[in-house]
Amino acid sequence: MKAVFAFALLAGVLPGATLTECREHKRRGRLTEERTCWQALAQSQNPAWQAEAAWGLGDYTTANTLFRNAVAARGKDPELRVRWGRLFLEHGEREEAAKLFQEALELSPDYPPALIGIASVASGRFESKATELAAKALEKDPKLYEARELLARLALEEYNEKGAVEEADKALAISPEAMNALIVRATVDWLNGKPGTEWVERLDKINPNYGEGYALAAGIFVINRRYEEGIALYRKALGMNPALLHAKAELGVNLMRLGEEKEARQLLEECYEARWRTPQVTNTLRLMDSYKNFVTFKKGMLILRVHKKEAELLRPYFEAELERASNVFEKKYQLKLTRPVQLEVYPDHEDFAVRTMGLPGLGALGVTFGNVVAMDSPSGRKPGSFHWASTLWHELSHVYALAVTKHRVPRWFTEGLAVHEETAVNKEWGDRLDPSTIRAIKEDKLLPVATLDRGFVRPSYPAQVTVSYFQAGKICDYIDSKWGWQKLVDMLRDFSTGKTTVEVMESHLGMKTEEFDKEFRTWLDQQVGGQVKGYESWRKSIGVVGAMAKEQKWDDVIKASEPLIRAYPDYVDGGSAYELLADAAEKKGDKAKATSVLEAWAKAGGRQPETLKRLAKLQEEAGNKRAAAETLERINYIYPVQDEAYHKRQGELWLELGDMDRAIREFTAVIGSNPVDAAGSYYNLAKALRAAGKTEEARENVVLALEAAPSFRPAQKLLLELSK
Amino acid sequence: MAATEKVGCGLKWMAGWALLAATAAPASTWYLTVAGLGGDPVYVQRFDSLAKELDKLVRTTPDAKVTTLSGGDATKAKIHAALEEAARASKPEDTLVVTIIGHGNYDGQDYKVNIPGEDVTAAELAGWMDRVPAQKQAIINTTSCSGAAIDMLRRDNRVVIAATKSGTERLATQFARFWVEAMRNPEADVDKNEMISVLEAYRYADKRTVNFYESQKRLATEHAMLEDTGKGTGVRTPGPDNGHGLLAGQTSLVRFGSLQQAAKSPEKQALLKKREEIEARVEKLKYEKAAISVGDYRKQLAALLLELAKVQEEIDR
Repeated sequence: MKAVFAFALLAGVLPGATLTECREHKRRGRLTEERTCWQALAQSQNPAWQAEAAWGLGDYTTANTLFRNAVAARGKDPELRVRWGRLFLEHGEREEAAKLFQEALELSPDYPPALIGIASVASGRFESKATELAAKALEKDPKLYEARELLARLALEEYNEKGAVEEADKALAISPEAMNALIVRATVDWLNGKPGTEWVERLDKINPNYGEGYALAAGIFVINRRYEEGIALYRKALGMNPALLHAKAELGVNLMRLGEEKEARQLLEECYEARWRTPQVTNTLRLMDSYKNFVTFKKGMLILRVHKKEAELLRPYFEAELERASNVFEKKYQLKLTRPVQLEVYPDHEDFAVRTMGLPGLGALGVTFGNVVAMDSPSGRKPGSFHWASTLWHELSHVYALAVTKHRVPRWFTEGLAVHEETAVNKEWGDRLDPSTIRAIKEDKLLPVATLDRGFVRPSYPAQVTVSYFQAGKICDYIDSKWGWQKLVDMLRDFSTGKTTVEVMESHLGMKTEEFDKEFRTWLDQQVGGQVKGYESWRKSIGVVGAMAKEQKWDDVIKASEPLIRAYPDYVDGGSAYELLADAAEKKGDKAKATSVLEAWAKAGGRQPETLKRLAKLQEEAGNKRAAAETLERINYIYPVQDEAYHKRQGELWLELGDMDRAIREFTAVIGSNPVDAAGSYYNLAKALRAAGKTEEARENVVLALEAAPSFRPAQKLLLELSK
Repeated sequence: MAATEKVGCGLKWMAGWALLAATAAPASTWYLTVAGLGGDPVYVQRFDSLAKELDKLVRTTPDAKVTTLSGGDATKAKIHAALEEAARASKPEDTLVVTIIGHGNYDGQDYKVNIPGEDVTAAELAGWMDRVPAQKQAIINTTSCSGAAIDMLRRDNRVVIAATKSGTERLATQFARFWVEAMRNPEADVDKNEMISVLEAYRYADKRTVNFYESQKRLATEHAMLEDTGKGTGVRTPGPDNGHGLLAGQTSLVRFGSLQQAAKSPEKQALLKKREEIEARVEKLKYEKAAISVGDYRKQLAALLLELAKVQEEIDR
């Protein structure tokens, strides 16, 4: 900052510059004049103006310090706090910004700029209260066109173009030079393939260098998953004003999302060097640094990037599912992808979060950016909490839905298809009906299909995103069951023309969306109504049965558990009635009953690896080795990591059953697990390879076994046999 | 050439040891297992069952002298008496293995094992073990805070294993159950020599403990350490790079199989000698792996291993 002051003094420019003048230059896009003005303003004796000048010159650290000083000197001034908050907001530090806006509201209740500030923070967090706060600001100051502009943007983020246009027009009615309103109008046109000339011309007359507006439009395209168009708009914004570091950072992040890592890194490093060190920039650079720890495998059009510490173990499973899903989707969506698909698997959930940040609804396990899919590794989650294969199919279906529609598919529809695909591939996969969804159904909180997108983007209650996934999935299930799969594909194709949900639903299903909603609810009631009704009694009783089990009242547990399973069969998580009943049956010596109950649990979607292992043991004890092997195989799709023992047992079972391909796969997985018993693991693999007639590979592996343990007698015998 | 001579000399020494082992009176292993106070019923049950299982496992070792103290029996006096008995009756060629299961505490100065009545300190345990003539000793302290006892317990020819890296890791540990698992799981015998060494069991238990915390997504509250040089503060991963693990690798915990029987047969001793020679050549080749091409290494290794397998076949015949 010292250097900036010195330059201003040397230049000797505009000694009497005012904040209003500088802002006006900024507003009109007079970049040179604006900069000169800020430099002059930096010499002001007014600490608040000095802060604004430092901010205008891009020196955020100094601006922060100066705002602190200014606020200390003028403790009762809400405007200063709002401006300081804006500085934090622009820098992506929402928590700090929110605190300052709140402080401003404490000084001046319902102070409209502070309400707008908090609404902007809420908007960045994709919280539903953003709209309420903006509306409240308008109540206090009906002429506050910025509030209308914010409402317009919020509507657009919710895919509500009509609402966005209405709000933008209201803003323009208050101020014909409301530039963000003009940008919203242009963006709506651009989203629909129109040039938006009228709005651009009007904007150019006010400010020919309004890069901020193009960055705003770019953000809307990104939320609509139209990344390439978003990137083009960020480039345009930077072309107008290269000093827009937030646009540069967003451009970098979005290029990274599409796999353009070289340019992404360069841009992010430029931001970092320019001291634009937001969490987004620093975390993304850190993540990119960590890529040296990942390995990439290419197979045809499929690219897999896995952390090297688990690459050997996970690669066979992930490659197989990626290939299987691609083949299935190619047929289902009647589309051959023209660009490679890249799947990135992150063992550290924080890395995954950095990779995906900035998008709504991403408490998530996976996310798709065009042809790049990022997801958690099974090792990034607690065993049983995550079905990675289900997530892979879910995300890959987005790749196809986006490709078919040229990224114009509404959020609810692509999510609905993705959820549908999870159980279409295997009924045991996918998420079950959970208590929060049951409550939402009971309380009639499902959204009309016409506004279902809102449930994903700006949830109005904590579980609404989960509920919306469920609802969207069920809607696709319903359409598939009533009209057939081709109807969903036809609808998908029609979305590519830019039609709205209402238009597509009505033209393809031949009914108003309100009517569809009614029919869907009736169908849904047939599907899950029993569980919704039974939930309350289940909720009251499950704890009682759990207490009975603790007291080892096994007869009582058996009697009470079965009705609970019937009441809420989808509850398969820890402490389920299935497990209580299986425990009781086993304690009473009825292993056959315990086995059948756990089999029902697994079929209902139970996915706790320890319980699956228990079931496999029971099946094996009953002499049903195939069932045991298949039960253990389920774990491959849930938690194939940090457990070499189950891979080994599964391999042995497949070996006994004569299924050498699966035996080889599992013994290979044991080796990929970096086992304690390397010799035994290579020996087992050698045995399976030999049984499969792969003598030379068997010999290589038995040598590896003996390299680890030269006196390992079974391996020695096998080597002798293989050497005959 | 010098290296060959050195290896040859080493082989002579090994062969000499094999002959001695075949003729000398069998060495004993003295096992003392202590399961301290659990406090919570869950821990009482857990410590007691681990001690019982360990007792059962070590009794399968030939010439095992086993004392297991748990519950009300795990008093200071009885621990002292058991080690006094080992001090009186053990021979230098014997091995002493002390395993402590339970809760420990550390007040910044003294480490203590929580047992009924007066607790026992690390210094007291070290003093009592020092009196035992058995030259190979191992103490496996699986309690919380056990890292604080390493300095006090370490000594030449003694392996000290602690479940925690310091006295500040105060939460109940998982290490003990994986230690016991190592002793019953043949997979822990990574070199397949029909014996689980202290080093093999340590590596197995440590890996399983680390996996436990990782899979549960819990912050690891214990980090096991091994010290067997008599000088250091312990290491997490013993190996040639830090000079730890040599004694632990040579100290047997449990044995199973027929190796001992074969060594007693005079007609097989020539074959055993040949086997040891080939094993030494394998080890030498592995040591030289980085210096030769992958293809040559694999070829030579496969040839040696085949030769070794043929000798073993003759021994087994």
